[in-house]
Amino acid sequence: MTATSRSDRAREEDRELLRRYHERGDTEAREQLIQRHLPLVRSLARRYANRGEALEDIEQVGAIGLIKAIDRFELDRDVSLATYATPNVVGEIKRHFRDKGWAIRVPRALQELNASMSGAIEQLTLKLSRSPSIAEIAEELETTPEQVLEAMEVGSAYSTVSLSTGPAGEEELDPMETIGSEDRGFEVSEHRAALQPALSRLPSREREIIRMRFEEGLPQTQIAQRVGLSQMHVSRLIRKSLTTMREEMA
Amino acid sequence: MDALVGERIELDAPLAGDFQPVIRLIIGGIAEAVDFGFEEIDDLQLAVERLLAEAGSTGNVSLSFEVEEGGIRTLVGPLSERAVADALHDGDVGSGTLTLKRILQTVVDSFGVEESADGRIVVRLEKLKGPL
Repeated sequence: MTATSRSDRAREEDRELLRRYHERGDTEAREQLIQRHLPLVRSLARRYANRGEALEDIEQVGAIGLIKAIDRFELDRDVSLATYATPNVVGEIKRHFRDKGWAIRVPRALQELNASMSGAIEQLTLKLSRSPSIAEIAEELETTPEQVLEAMEVGSAYSTVSLSTGPAGEEELDPMETIGSEDRGFEVSEHRAALQPALSRLPSREREIIRMRFEEGLPQTQIAQRVGLSQMHVSRLIRKSLTTMREEMA
Repeated sequence: MDALVGERIELDAPLAGDFQPVIRLIIGGIAEAVDFGFEEIDDLQLAVERLLAEAGSTGNVSLSFEVEEGGIRTLVGPLSERAVADALHDGDVGSGTLTLKRILQTVVDSFGVEESADGRIVVRLEKLKGPL
């Protein structure tokens, strides 16, 4: 089979899935479309790597653009889904960078340091079999402990996209969904400062991470391994989830 | 770290306004000085952050960080928000209940509430350094 015919066939398969989703509301077809086009999202996200944000975060943002493209696609358009989705994905990523204001507020060197910290922490955690100290991270990245601390703060300062709680389907992208199926949840509490009611409104991935951290008592490193995210990302999700829950309870 | 045992750093910060990043940065700097690991620093920052989130939004809060043998002792207060004391004094928290108490139990090694004569409270957090 030639590359052209493979491409034509893929396009036809996309159209059939789009028909199933838009005409019959077949959400399984939608999920298949998402999975089929995630490589496109990853490819586009890589273009925006090394700009101060973890690649996995950018991929998540791009995936939202993909889902929007699938949801908005009009069947009478004579265009492939990949062609239609590309500007949506890129637009979503650009909007994310603009909204977060990285380029304005945070010096580029700190953005880059923040982006490279995830990998350094992973490597050092594996190598040392424990959480690395700031001095060790600084040495690995050939910088100062003060810069590492600042870069950590930079990472805490912005909110991660998945917590912006978009359409329900967006969360289906995440591999955590499967783990989330065993979600036992926390019981309703009568204690003051209980965050239970707001917990149920978190996306399933964040809910599961919160459960692993505060019910199972797992350290971030283990949670990160289970969910396939970096430790820094897990840390941000925990912090942001607790803040979101608290705000909802206020 | 031993050379720093007994050293204390005090900070007075307004509860209102977004001073959390400043407080986090200071905690990070202190914890780094005593060789805390990345995750331990994050835990201590989270503990203080959650505590302050429950402490109201008026007036100031004092934070005191004292380097101890093997860890950092943090005092937060005096706080006039009784809800914090109530939340931390409550009985055993069920394993499936997410409260401030549960969060602190997870992220610090020990904590307690000390009542002052004027009815306000000071919360004590102890975070130990893991093996390096």
